[in-house]
Amino acid sequence: MAKTHVRNNIRVLRFQHGEMTQQALAEKVGVTRQTIVAIEKEKYSPSLEAAFKIAAVFGEPLDAVFSYEPGSR
Amino acid sequence: MMKLTQTAMNMTFKEKSAWGSLVALALISYWYFPAAFDAASDAADPGRLVWLSVACIVALIIIEAIYQSVIAAADGGASDERDAHINLKAERIAGYVLGITLFSLVGRIIAVEAFEVAETMTALTIAVSILLTLTVSEVAKLISQIAYYRFSA
Repeated sequence: MAKTHVRNNIRVLRFQHGEMTQQALAEKVGVTRQTIVAIEKEKYSPSLEAAFKIAAVFGEPLDAVFSYEPGSR
Repeated sequence: MMKLTQTAMNMTFKEKSAWGSLVALALISYWYFPAAFDAASDAADPGRLVWLSVACIVALIIIEAIYQSVIAAADGGASDERDAHINLKAERIAGYVLGITLFSLVGRIIAVEAFEVAETMTALTIAVSILLTLTVSEVAKLISQIAYYRFSA
């Protein structure tokens, strides 16, 4: 299973925000739950807009949620 | 069985839709193409091919409509950027497959006409062959979509 170069802390942030469910996050961002699952597992890199929306849901700057690791595949 | 149910629950509407379309298309094509090539070579009754094609298209539309409405009722028919992304990647693969199969068909027609390597293809046989290339590319698209949903993207 190929992983992207984009790493994220979504699982940790969901835990810190009262065990927010993937479904609840998906509804706030406006995507399907399966897309949140794929982003969390680093199988899919979200669009810039979706990434900003996810960061906004957690009230964090973008780089606190997502980071880029070149050549880590 | 429980794992299968769980897998189905983890699928998006679009992935379930791709599975349904693939199964319907594969089943109807498996029955249609042998019968269509048989009917196309029967010059005495070209109307049989028309009726066969109409019956298959109507059957495909009915099966798709019923299946899509059932899964849309369960899932709400939601789609998002990942669905669009996967669809684009699958379309690209389908485009390659269509190009390869169409060029192969043209090559075969030229070989038959120029070198008489096989029995001459009739206009109806060529028409059914073109439909077959379109179906193969659609199947390639659906398989690619499912593979992207399951393993990456």
